[in-house]
Amino acid sequence: MTDMPAVHVHDLHKSYGPVQALKGVSLDIARGGIFGLLGPNGAGKTTFIRLLTGSSKRDAGEAAVLGLDPQGDRWALRRRIGYMPQEPALYDDLSARENLTFFVRAFNRRDLSGRVNETLAFVGLLERADDPLFKLSGGMRQRVSLACALVHQPEVLFLDEPTTGIDPRLRRTFWAHFRKLADGGCTILVSTHQMDEVVYCDRVAILQEGVLLAVDTPRGLLRRGEALIRVELDGRTETSAVHDYPHRLPALLRGHGLDPAVERIEVEEATLEQVVLAMIAEHEQQREEA
Amino acid sequence: MAGTLSRTGAMAGRVLAQFRRDKRQFALSLVFPLIVVYFVKVLLDVLTGPFFDPTVYVVPYGAFLVHFITFLVTAIVLVSERTQGTLDRMFISGYRRLDIISGYLLAYTALSTLQSLLILVEMHWLFELDYTLAQFAAIYLIMWLLAVISLILGLLVSNFCRTVSQVIPFFPLILISMIVSGVLIPFEELPRWSQFLSYVSPLYYANEVLQELVRGGSLLDAGWIVAALPAYGVLLLALSAVTLRELD
Repeated sequence: MTDMPAVHVHDLHKSYGPVQALKGVSLDIARGGIFGLLGPNGAGKTTFIRLLTGSSKRDAGEAAVLGLDPQGDRWALRRRIGYMPQEPALYDDLSARENLTFFVRAFNRRDLSGRVNETLAFVGLLERADDPLFKLSGGMRQRVSLACALVHQPEVLFLDEPTTGIDPRLRRTFWAHFRKLADGGCTILVSTHQMDEVVYCDRVAILQEGVLLAVDTPRGLLRRGEALIRVELDGRTETSAVHDYPHRLPALLRGHGLDPAVERIEVEEATLEQVVLAMIAEHEQQREEA
Repeated sequence: MAGTLSRTGAMAGRVLAQFRRDKRQFALSLVFPLIVVYFVKVLLDVLTGPFFDPTVYVVPYGAFLVHFITFLVTAIVLVSERTQGTLDRMFISGYRRLDIISGYLLAYTALSTLQSLLILVEMHWLFELDYTLAQFAAIYLIMWLLAVISLILGLLVSNFCRTVSQVIPFFPLILISMIVSGVLIPFEELPRWSQFLSYVSPLYYANEVLQELVRGGSLLDAGWIVAALPAYGVLLLALSAVTLRELD
């Protein structure tokens, strides 16, 4: 039972009219940890999340969240998942407390006020809990939205671009919250188009035009890029572009026989952004050729 | 069952809390119809003559007003829930179609109950209507039923609109509904081909009963048509529950 992945999808397809949003995505997400779904706008991230929360019907393929079918078992599943949409989707004329209480009451939980207070404290909004949302800043509203998604203590949390449009300091606070939740055993699936956020994830999938390009750890993704190695010897510079430089560098140096003339070695590792953009460019080129 | 009741209560409580918070909208929803009733009085005063008895028209006009406003407000509010993403969020949070529809119905029925009562009291006062308490109560019951049907109609129409602007094309339907209902033109005077439209309009059934009541008859005198209103409401409710989209 514990070996069952939090999310399992196989050959998942979804179209909106002539637009193919997902073209046969297959993926397993283990329980616990933060799983990032990275891709540009229109890559299919929101569609993927909506299929897993049971808000959309898949056209073909298999999907299971915590072993439950997001369509057929959606009512049983929704007790166990949390969802934070891109837009806050809250009632602006109600307070944070009223919003949280309303959403958590769907699950008929006992000790509502204790749970609501605990969640408001977690996102640092206890002091402004009774102000109507229209008096709160955009960042605070995002925090309320997050609180609504986790107030019923879900086992899997789906976050659709939760940090879009918020300042860098709050962004860091959000990721600290996600890490705390993941450390507590919650599985987090977070979509983002901001490359620098990948470093906060345990594993990452790259999605482009409905196709999964790669699934790896952030470190593993970096290794897929080329590193530029510049060796200065006898006053000239030899530059080599290599994949997986930690393994390729020794061979390269052996080629020089560790010549005492070698004065300086510089390794310029590709950034994650370069790696991902290269993958996307390669995918686009393959598609054009096809 | 307990879960459904609890969720329906939560829904209705949330909508009522929004009314309490947005006092301006709540007040305008109640005050604007009263202003319209006043101008109806001004209009009918001008039209009054030996062949025109305004008291026959006043109550059906009031009923139309309740019908129109309730439909409009409900349709727009529900579509806003869809466009703001809160409807989607409700579903993912565990609310079901029946909870959402019945919660809205409960909360807006509270508003419509007050609205119908205020309109009727104002008309009674402005037009010096000479009704017995039993007549007044029967008229109120029919207006209230019409208000509930109108809000279910608003719920149903909102299911077919993705944006608030898509609600606007439905407004002429309400005006057509008024014309074919017999409120403005007697049913018999309508072109024969259009008479079937009257049977589709809830205002037709309400007007038939109201005309009977205004002339001094009772609900029993109105016959089967009294039962047509709740039956119409149940049918609309079933339709709106079935057509409320939960999945893309």
